[in-house]
Amino acid sequence: MTATNQERPRPSWFTRFWAVVRYEMLWNIRKKKFIAIVIAAFVLVTVDLALPAFFNVSKNPAFAATFSVGNLVFFLIALVTVMNSISGEFESGTIVPLLTKPVSRTMVFLAKVFAAFVIILVTYTVLFIYSTVGGIVVYGPQDNLQLVPLALLGNVISTFVWVAIILAIGSISKSSLFAALGGLVLFIAFVFAGSIIASVSNEAGALNYVPGVGATGVLNVAQRSQNITIQNITVSMNSVSTGTDNIGTNLVNYARYPSATVNITRTDVFSTPPKVIQLYTESIGFIVLRSIAVAFAYILVFLFVAWFAFKRAQIFE
Amino acid sequence: MELVIETNNLTKRYGSLTAVNKLNLKVQRGSIHGFLGPNGAGKTTTIKIIVGLLRPDEGTVKVLGHELHGGKNEGFLQSFREHADSRLGIGYMPELPKFPKHLKGSELLDIYGRMYGMTEQQRKEQIPKLIEMVGLTGRENDLIGKYSKGMQQRIGIAQALLNNPELVILDEPSLGLDPVGMVEVRELVKNIAREGVTVFVSSHLLFEVEQVCTDVTIINRGTALASDTLQNVSGLLTGPAMIHVEVTQMSQNIIKAVKSLPFVSNVVQTGNTLVIQVTTHENVRAQVSQAITRAGGIIVDMSQKTSNLEDVFLQLVSKDQEGKPQ
Repeated sequence: MTATNQERPRPSWFTRFWAVVRYEMLWNIRKKKFIAIVIAAFVLVTVDLALPAFFNVSKNPAFAATFSVGNLVFFLIALVTVMNSISGEFESGTIVPLLTKPVSRTMVFLAKVFAAFVIILVTYTVLFIYSTVGGIVVYGPQDNLQLVPLALLGNVISTFVWVAIILAIGSISKSSLFAALGGLVLFIAFVFAGSIIASVSNEAGALNYVPGVGATGVLNVAQRSQNITIQNITVSMNSVSTGTDNIGTNLVNYARYPSATVNITRTDVFSTPPKVIQLYTESIGFIVLRSIAVAFAYILVFLFVAWFAFKRAQIFE
Repeated sequence: MELVIETNNLTKRYGSLTAVNKLNLKVQRGSIHGFLGPNGAGKTTTIKIIVGLLRPDEGTVKVLGHELHGGKNEGFLQSFREHADSRLGIGYMPELPKFPKHLKGSELLDIYGRMYGMTEQQRKEQIPKLIEMVGLTGRENDLIGKYSKGMQQRIGIAQALLNNPELVILDEPSLGLDPVGMVEVRELVKNIAREGVTVFVSSHLLFEVEQVCTDVTIINRGTALASDTLQNVSGLLTGPAMIHVEVTQMSQNIIKAVKSLPFVSNVVQTGNTLVIQVTTHENVRAQVSQAITRAGGIIVDMSQKTSNLEDVFLQLVSKDQEGKPQ
């Protein structure tokens, strides 16, 4: 005789949560496109390391601390990790057996978000270890290696803005294609169009409040240790972007130069020669705080939208 | 008798289509309850409401003592409540189940077992047993993506029995199975019911329901047309029944003798065969045989089509179709 529902032991919330995390992790690490993007990310990091050496770049002792995987990688990693995390369950019909187990939709949603976080954190950790070791090999002994985890944390936050956006589109549309295309359209709009606006408009400050690179400027520091020389041309490495995609590098900048300010500028491409116009000045501390606040606002709002759509979804399939 | 599933005026609409219409379903503990209806009758929609995949527009649902949906009186915030614990005692196999293709059969059962809170020891004991029971031994470490439709159906049955449920809900369990698999499923249902498990099985296969179920609900257009024990539902058949009799040589005396029987309403002769229409569904072959023999006839063959679920089903459904506009 089987036990009645009242007699059955109730598994804890965490027991069930970890079961869903396990389910999701196995899915993620076996996705072919995820594996392909991770390989592509490693190729990009390798190029990032090898190319300057190829052009006889001078030693850069701050390479590892100022390293960022870049906004395209943020978007692509987010895309392949969560584009079918919820919508794929609906499309394949696997949502039916999953949601008829003793797990709540909120639990499933949180487990999926947590699994995405772990996958991204682990991927970036491996990439950062690779770039740090590579930085030492290519550029010699590295300064401020203790700041590498800070850059890593910032990169994860930046990626999670896109994770939340793509999850929300997927959860509402229940279509992986729609999630991918919707995310791509927003990425192009925010990042590329944003970059154009930043160089032609005096209202570049508005870009600080949308996901992407934000406004651009130059970090005012007395010490120009980040300048590097490529074939006798000195390049300033003190340029700063203030958006949600640059939290990692700005966190490192803040840790290195806590009282520094940033001159936000734009380049008037219509004047001859092109003229750099200064728009306003902000402290690096404020820029970091604002970009983190904006990132978290987007993450929370879009995750809430995704959760709400998932929670209210009716399974007709 | 304790009810494990109870719905009251359950209603679900898809736009202008009413898929389930004021359905009052009662499933008794320990029964094998067949849920019978033609395609599109509202069987799967009802089951999806019972397992929490759909919300009803009206009516209430109670499963294993848990009130799942409160109908119209349920507030917006209340509608967010989930009843994950109510599913601890339920095993559900959806119609043509789909499982993650990237998981192996044994991995799927292991993960689902964790969701039920089964210990490692319990999983180690239960999973190989189920794999063997559903005939997937040797294929449990293959990815589900490589499984045939029938094998997916089998792993679907295994996962529905994983938690030793007290209520098993099977939605068209024979769909996609070969004839041997269909027989195995029927035996499986009988075996699990012997252990005191209530089985609620939806099917459009009349013989399947007739062979395994103790109780049956016939549904059409979202409304229950009949719901009772299989025996009582089969007894609902009304209208004429037929007896076919073949004699060595037909005569007017035989026809006259048959027509004189009180339960005979019509007799049609074709050669040496009589098709006798009778007003009862009881077995009256003995009386007919006696009358023919007394009239000098020699019977070589006689058959009476007894009332079965198929007759009842067809009669109820066709009556229902006639009574309502398309």
